[in-house]
Amino acid sequence: MNDVRAQRNLAAEQICSVSVGDSNKDGFSVNRNDMLLKAALDQGIDYPHNCRVGVCGQCKTKLISGKVTPMVDLALSPLTNAEIESGYFLACQGKVRGNINIEIKLGQHHVVPEQQVAGRISLWKRLPGEVIELRIALETPFQYEAGQYGFLAESGSFVRRCFSFSDAPPAEAGVGATEVGFLIKRLPGGQFSEWLFKEDRTGLKMWLHGPYGVMGIDDADTSGICVAGGTGLAPVLSILEQRLSSSAHAKFVVIFGVKFANELFAMDKLAALQTRFPGRVRIIPIVSHEPENSTWQGARGLVTAPINEQLGVDFSSVAAFVCGGLPMVNAVEAKLIAMGMNPERIHADKFMPTG
Amino acid sequence: MTDYIKYLLSPFILVLHAWGMALGGAYAWVGFAVLMWILCFDAFLKPSHHIRDTRYPWIYDAVITCTVLACFANIFFYAYLAGNGHFVGGAAQTGAFLGTVMIGFVIGAPPVHELFHREGLALRTLGRIGQCLVFDPWREITHVVTHHMHTATPTDPDYARRGDTVYGHFTRTFPGQWKESYHLEKMMWTKRGRKWYDLRNAWVFKVAYFSLFLAVLFSVGGLVGGGLACATLILGPRMQLEVFNYCNHYGLVSATPGRFKKHHTWNHLTPFTRILALEITNHAGHHDDSYKPFYELAPDEIGPKQPPFILCVIMAFIPPLFMMAMKPLLKDWDDHYANAQEREIAARENTRAGWDELNNDSSNLNSGAMALA
Repeated sequence: MNDVRAQRNLAAEQICSVSVGDSNKDGFSVNRNDMLLKAALDQGIDYPHNCRVGVCGQCKTKLISGKVTPMVDLALSPLTNAEIESGYFLACQGKVRGNINIEIKLGQHHVVPEQQVAGRISLWKRLPGEVIELRIALETPFQYEAGQYGFLAESGSFVRRCFSFSDAPPAEAGVGATEVGFLIKRLPGGQFSEWLFKEDRTGLKMWLHGPYGVMGIDDADTSGICVAGGTGLAPVLSILEQRLSSSAHAKFVVIFGVKFANELFAMDKLAALQTRFPGRVRIIPIVSHEPENSTWQGARGLVTAPINEQLGVDFSSVAAFVCGGLPMVNAVEAKLIAMGMNPERIHADKFMPTG
Repeated sequence: MTDYIKYLLSPFILVLHAWGMALGGAYAWVGFAVLMWILCFDAFLKPSHHIRDTRYPWIYDAVITCTVLACFANIFFYAYLAGNGHFVGGAAQTGAFLGTVMIGFVIGAPPVHELFHREGLALRTLGRIGQCLVFDPWREITHVVTHHMHTATPTDPDYARRGDTVYGHFTRTFPGQWKESYHLEKMMWTKRGRKWYDLRNAWVFKVAYFSLFLAVLFSVGGLVGGGLACATLILGPRMQLEVFNYCNHYGLVSATPGRFKKHHTWNHLTPFTRILALEITNHAGHHDDSYKPFYELAPDEIGPKQPPFILCVIMAFIPPLFMMAMKPLLKDWDDHYANAQEREIAARENTRAGWDELNNDSSNLNSGAMALA
């Protein structure tokens, strides 16, 4: 009898409860020493994630109480030092050592499964600002969500880089795109971008692996501010088109920043959305390094400059979709919060140029 | 209980080697001879797919902990004997030196690797300090972070592409690892907002224990004994580990770094190799879950297999022989294991290596592959 009781006690010790925030409804149990993300996914829990190997940072979770051991030094993860010191860890790398209480938004979105699809370049077009518009006609339809990204590799090459989709995905649920578009900036010395820029690559076979990332999830009818730095415009275009199509009312302000006026690219795509959805899209191109004496009549400065009361936006009720380099996104987030925006409504994609 | 006893083979060989060195003369060859005899005998055995008994994991952990500690004792003992002129004559000196080289590699390196992959603080710390035995306290960081994340791609410094010789691999892998170690260490101190010389940085601890190790080595062996002991560690575990890495993913291709699949590694599953190498040659299982202890690894019965371990290591030093053995295996891998994207990369890699015949569908290399596998 004592043995049975001892076994029960042991079993009880091996099971750890995971409570989510103050709510009891999202709690679940895992075995002690299980990897949190894997244990959650194995139970069918919609836990935000993507790469599962500590690279994308999508499973970032705040530990409120209890003990979780990271498998690799968190300083080698995408988490910032401030986040690490605030108790954040990556669920894909965190082993649960006891009962824990965490802060995470479960069930944010339906996870699109990974796909590895071949296709051929159907459009290779140079745009201003050393940007290539690349379109790939796929052999098999590819499912993704607005704001997500995928890895591109030339057939036969080890070299692959990730880029955000610039199109809205097909409106019908479960239907994949047969052609996908990207906006790719040339990075001097970058293996992939230098190869791509060298000559017209139309017709070449490519591989697409993904999708990854979560950026565009918010209430469908919510109006928003989109802030894009350089080719950060790609996911913004995707989100913008998708949200404009799925809502009859939502309105958007797009702040699009580049260094010089002659580097403004894809303005035709933004204009096309303005025409297609009259009165619902306002575009503010802004240049940061344009010479004072140039003929540019538009806004000057950093993308944070137009974010003020004159923008005519009720910051407390809209969502923001921000994409660009890390410092830019951090600055925009800080400005939006200072203007009264709820941090949870800021959806950001911070990228590091890898070329 | 026999599973637990099997892993006593490594400490047993260590004891034999120490005994042989203590006796000196021709006995200095005992450790080397026994180890090589076992490995050669093992080369003729069939692969073992046996799953280990895991009822008493603490026994395994106790054995490998003792093995690491015994390896420290062994290298200090060798330094002491060599430094005090114990080995008289070239034969005894050579036997003791070669024995320490090969035992350092085959018996010393596996438990160190096993332990620095462990999650428990005590065992992991022992594994980290044990890296002195592979003469590189930074081996862990590039292994756990870079090698396991970029398996079978050129961004992993441990990876050898088709056509690469082991000699070329040495010239690439060491600078690649040093560069990557610096990059990762810098990332850690930068993100934490520390200066490079901050005493809390991980590299400070590594330098401290490695310096202490060298100090003890030279104090017991003097300049000659300490120098010879360092030479055994450099030529043994340090360099032979890279030969092992060279072989273990040779020419394989991953199109999706970070998404390890079992066909992204070769395996060596002969019984004694599995035991002596602490299942590290049961490599697919290790990459599939690098935190899984060696006794829980299940052999990949249908995965890609290389010729016996000792044969691969020896052939690696004779590039034409190694390539001759590997080409049919790679052709077989391309045809039966690679996915469509990987096949395309493999085809380009074949061309890069000057092995266009592997891209020919009518190539008759397949039959050889099956024979070797």
